[in-house]
Amino acid sequence: MGNEQIPQTAPTPPAPRRPTGRQTGFAGTAHRWLLDRISALWALLTDRPVSLYAASALRIGYGSLYLIFLLREFPHRHEIWGADSPWTPALAQQLFDQTGWNSILTLSDSRAYFELCYVMALVTSALFMLGWRTRVMSILFALVVTSFHARAIFMTDGGDNLTLLMALYLVLTACGRRWSLDARRDRLKAARAGNAPKLVRRFSVQQLLDARTTLTTVVHNCGIFVIAAQVCVLYGAAGLYKVQGASWGGGTALHYVLNLELFQPWPALSHLVDEQTILISIVGYMTVLLQVAFPFVLFGRLKYPVLVMLLGMHIGIAVLMGLPLFSGAMIVADAVFLPDRFYTFLPHLCRRAAQRTGMRRPAPGRSAGPGSVPSQGRPGVPGPKHRTTPPGQKDNALATGLASDQS
Amino acid sequence: MSSGIESADVKEIQQSDSGPVAQECPDAVATPVKRPGGARALKAGLYTAVILCLATTLAHVALVFLHVAPASTVSKRFSPQINAWVYPFFEQNWRLFAPEPDSVNRQVLARAAHTRSDGSMKVSAWFDLVAEDNSAVEHSVFPSHTAQNLLRRAWTSYTDSHGGDDNARTERAVMMQKYLSNIAADRVAARNAGTVDFIQLRVVTLPIAAPGAAVGNRPPTPVENRLLPWWKVTTHGK
Repeated sequence: MGNEQIPQTAPTPPAPRRPTGRQTGFAGTAHRWLLDRISALWALLTDRPVSLYAASALRIGYGSLYLIFLLREFPHRHEIWGADSPWTPALAQQLFDQTGWNSILTLSDSRAYFELCYVMALVTSALFMLGWRTRVMSILFALVVTSFHARAIFMTDGGDNLTLLMALYLVLTACGRRWSLDARRDRLKAARAGNAPKLVRRFSVQQLLDARTTLTTVVHNCGIFVIAAQVCVLYGAAGLYKVQGASWGGGTALHYVLNLELFQPWPALSHLVDEQTILISIVGYMTVLLQVAFPFVLFGRLKYPVLVMLLGMHIGIAVLMGLPLFSGAMIVADAVFLPDRFYTFLPHLCRRAAQRTGMRRPAPGRSAGPGSVPSQGRPGVPGPKHRTTPPGQKDNALATGLASDQS
Repeated sequence: MSSGIESADVKEIQQSDSGPVAQECPDAVATPVKRPGGARALKAGLYTAVILCLATTLAHVALVFLHVAPASTVSKRFSPQINAWVYPFFEQNWRLFAPEPDSVNRQVLARAAHTRSDGSMKVSAWFDLVAEDNSAVEHSVFPSHTAQNLLRRAWTSYTDSHGGDDNARTERAVMMQKYLSNIAADRVAARNAGTVDFIQLRVVTLPIAAPGAAVGNRPPTPVENRLLPWWKVTTHGK
């Protein structure tokens, strides 16, 4: 491994009283180095759950987005998921048999059952967002999202796809430890029990509880890692596939994107932006660069400007292309990369802003941590962007090819 | 490598045993040397579980990466494993507007036919289903999936399963044809009350002019004008 690079000259500690000689000393150092790395990794994995605030931000984000989605589509619910849908329950069931998907919605064609499922989905999303019995709710939420996604799989787009993946991953995380009803209940309970005598548990019980805590922590940390890696894969793939396209290289890609009629809620605005040829080619290049660079900037301060630019890009997509859900899902996913100290600093920021505007009394925020992250103001850069996939992707060579190509 | 992990485990066991346990459990302090066998088994189980978690995590990320990345030697070699893991729940496709954004807009036109009692056919005029979607999207802050995704994805899935001709040769193609005809039937039913026996679709693909091209007011020439066969309409689900 790396150590072989610094050979003979051996500035390695002169292995004090180690009679076995130089070679063993060197091997010993390498061995120790490896052990240190492994125990550091082990500690990182098992010591404490990382990014609890980010996990909670994702819970709140996806819970509320799905709630908004279900409310938005309420008038269209029968057309999308009901027994009257053009994608009939029989067709859906046939596809499930081919692909392995499943859905609680196809269990019965009864109207009452469907409405019950819909209400259950609304309630589940709301309770998940609020963090009430979060672990159970996260499982139910994943079940709801999977069921609704599978039932109307040809109605989904990239935003739905991302929401589904995140709903599945969030089951692994302890996403109810902050900003949740669970956290509030625990706080009250702790305050009440503050001076009660400490419960002495039997050794074996204590061991079991410790093991459970460790396992929860490990699963949470793995879940957060998977979420972060998923977002990197997403941006990396989106960027690298664009690099291969001539129109992205030529700076004209966004012209075509802006002229897709289904994604023109404000045609005058789209045409106005389309006329700025220099601007849209710069924004097109920036898009590709940001997406390709994304996985590589996450380990330094550079991630803050990149995240702000991505935020601007997503807001641009939301407004210009009429894809608020898609953009919302992407923005929430980006939030996983903000450290806890950023989130603890947020209430402090809000309070200051509220005081400055002299509006209302600040909410009794949580301790404003020692955060020192530069204030991430809302970006005023409505970069137009794209990212929908338009009709006609010819890429689903794979087994089912159902993944929401586009948008 | 494996020896490294084992020794790390041993080290960790010692560390944690001298940690919180000693503080909170008088029992443990009383008998620090002899560990109950159960505790040891618990530790071993815990380490196994942790290592399994880590391995699953890394495997998942690797498999998803290979699923998303272009087909390569590795992904071809392991495609059964990749597909078994990724499908259905982790399927994904991030080729949004890539490598090229679409450079066409589509009109999906439909007309309906009804057999009169005397045996003659009454055929309606064409009307544009996509135009309805476009006007639903226009000036909407939050367009519905039924406008932006329903017909668009139904049509792309239809062409993916049929290719250039309209004979359904696979089970999936039959399903997509049924889906498309159901959509058309619903839209036709929503606009006229009469009975409909047959439906026909025509899909006109219009190019988006290259930037800078003088477009004027003349409509673009279609790059494709595809007339689908008449489909018998059966009421579904109602």
